[in-house]
Amino acid sequence: MAAANPSVFLLMVNGQVESAQFPEYDDLYCKYCFVYGQDWAPTAGLEEGISQITSKSQDMRRALVWNFPIDVTFKSTNPYGWPQIVLSVYGPDVFGNDVVRGYGAVHVPFSPGRHKRTIPMFVPESTSTLQKFTSWFMGRRPEYTDPKVVAQGEGREVTRVRSQGFVTLLFNVVTKDMRKLGYDTGPADTQGIAGPSLPQGIPR
Amino acid sequence: MAEAHVIGQIIGATGFSESSLFCKWGIHTGAAWKLLSGVREGQTQVDTPQVGDMAYWCHPIDLHFATKGLQGWPRLHLQVWSQDSFGRCQLAGYGFCHVPSSPGTHQLDCPTWRPLGSWREQLARAFVGGGPQLLHADTIYSGADRYRLHTAAGGTVRLELGLLLRHFDRYGVEC
Repeated sequence: MAAANPSVFLLMVNGQVESAQFPEYDDLYCKYCFVYGQDWAPTAGLEEGISQITSKSQDMRRALVWNFPIDVTFKSTNPYGWPQIVLSVYGPDVFGNDVVRGYGAVHVPFSPGRHKRTIPMFVPESTSTLQKFTSWFMGRRPEYTDPKVVAQGEGREVTRVRSQGFVTLLFNVVTKDMRKLGYDTGPADTQGIAGPSLPQGIPR
Repeated sequence: MAEAHVIGQIIGATGFSESSLFCKWGIHTGAAWKLLSGVREGQTQVDTPQVGDMAYWCHPIDLHFATKGLQGWPRLHLQVWSQDSFGRCQLAGYGFCHVPSSPGTHQLDCPTWRPLGSWREQLARAFVGGGPQLLHADTIYSGADRYRLHTAAGGTVRLELGLLLRHFDRYGVEC
């Protein structure tokens, strides 16, 4: 069954888009997708998803809970281009139009185990005052045509953003055949895992 | 040859007095290290935070090195700049940190500094901005020519770097 000399390794990721903190906005939904390099291919599961619309909790936490599942498996021959999850959060403005409230991205953790990540969310801003005025007047905020640009390092020097919220993600990672291929991913890290996973506040 | 993958993010910066910040970064290695894929340097977006005082860049880094020796272990050098409402840029801090030597995910906090200059330059910086900058960027990551500099503290840059090593144990290297 198991090959003695494997040439590919597998990465199984499951988990959830747990919750979000956006002090200024409410009634938000979230889309996710994965961005990965040329050597990578998904073998099972969904690599895109769109969540329900959630409202803020009425307690102290003011949490936006999605509890939205992620479950995908990738195979690859080379860790270069390691998958990143790209999130974009949308919600209605005062006129009821859906506008973007944040983009964010993070690499899938590479050591096996349970990992919790709180990722900052930002939106692009117009650079010119005239565009700022027209976008305010027309009620159309600047957006990325493809959210996947937030997972790329090139061409970011021209963008201006405002960070205005956080999304908490939970990952369970399992790898197969990475050690057989000679890779050392280090000890399993379980950073940020303390007790039961409740929606957190804004990280300090 | 042994291989090393550096995968992670430049998360952001805290503790700077300026608000709209961006970062120019690069990675410096010794002659034994060869970059197989990925980009060696870049520049982040400009973030104006709305919650808290931390500017978030979330700038992805994905580098694949092959190495023949341990000398010249990769080091990341950073320049934090602030941009004002007219689009003018001013230096806020220089810093460097070594890529961690043990495999796994690491949270790094890189302290930064900036050249202070004469009292005349300090006064000018306080009123009109600008301020002295390094002529040679290699002073950021080398300790050879620092002794004449007078510097002041800047904020802290937060990074999350993962290191993935391959075949280091085949050559008896213990990381």
